[in-house]
Amino acid sequence: MNRFVSVGLALAVLATVGCTSTMAQQMAPPSSNYKKVSTLVALPDFLPGLGTLYVDPATLPAGPFLAYDRQGNLVSSVYMIPVKDITAHKAFNDLAAAKEKVDHVDMYYNAGHPGVAEPHYHVVVWYVSPQQAATLK
Amino acid sequence: MGTRRDFLKAGGLALTGLAVPVVAQAARPAEIQMLSSPRGEEVWFDPIGVRIQPGQTVRWIMASPGNPHTTTAYHPGNASHSLRIPEAAAPWDSGFLVKPGDTFEVTLTVEGVYDYFCLPHEAAGMVGRIVVGRPGGPGALPFDYFAGRPTTQAWVPVPEAARAAFPSVVAIVANGAVRRR
Repeated sequence: MNRFVSVGLALAVLATVGCTSTMAQQMAPPSSNYKKVSTLVALPDFLPGLGTLYVDPATLPAGPFLAYDRQGNLVSSVYMIPVKDITAHKAFNDLAAAKEKVDHVDMYYNAGHPGVAEPHYHVVVWYVSPQQAATLK
Repeated sequence: MGTRRDFLKAGGLALTGLAVPVVAQAARPAEIQMLSSPRGEEVWFDPIGVRIQPGQTVRWIMASPGNPHTTTAYHPGNASHSLRIPEAAAPWDSGFLVKPGDTFEVTLTVEGVYDYFCLPHEAAGMVGRIVVGRPGGPGALPFDYFAGRPTTQAWVPVPEAARAAFPSVVAIVANGAVRRR
């Protein structure tokens, strides 16, 4: 993917942090609009490398998907951006964001999975360190 | 064609095998792994192409945690996908295999080429091809062979990434199995 698009996406996501909707979601489960992803589509409860995901179905496919560790602590917000939308220069504005201190951001290609069954990018806004993220197994 | 979905681990399968009489001449199932890289960047069947004999069973094995797969025949009965298995063969759709060790089996009796895909990963090129006996049928034809036919207007064509991923029938016949490039 074009490097400028990648950087732009990262900045766009970071820009939303702390500036949109308030979400009481530090501990699982989050507010009632959010559903556990494994109850919506055929995905395991706990995804290695991400955690247990919740999403407000009205926000699909972009999300945010709220990810929790096995103790129920919020560890990241994941935005899933279809490659075809990037190619079409589609904008994603005013995405909801957790009011948490951001540690780092990962962006990587994903070939698809139930729920977002098309190639897309995961933009993962982490609230824990890379070392802590690596323990999500 | 027969299908059997189960969620037995390998050990369970072995125990089942001990309890059921086995025909001495029956060929062993051809096994195909369903794989993903850890973060889901890459997804594939391994091998991506296999040749079997009529009446032989194919067993798909879920082999990657956290990224469910399906094996789904190219057939209009599967979400209007184009027909790429023999006309006389029955289509299959495993549904999602979620846990490592989950399996799905199909016994293929009609000779010809069988193309199949993974439902959430077709657009990323996760497809496979089986040649049963002598190659032939719709799966051996070009991907757009049905274009212009009034009865096939609703068929969904094979996406570009999937077209590029299929191994050739010639290579499968020559080698017996083809792994991903």
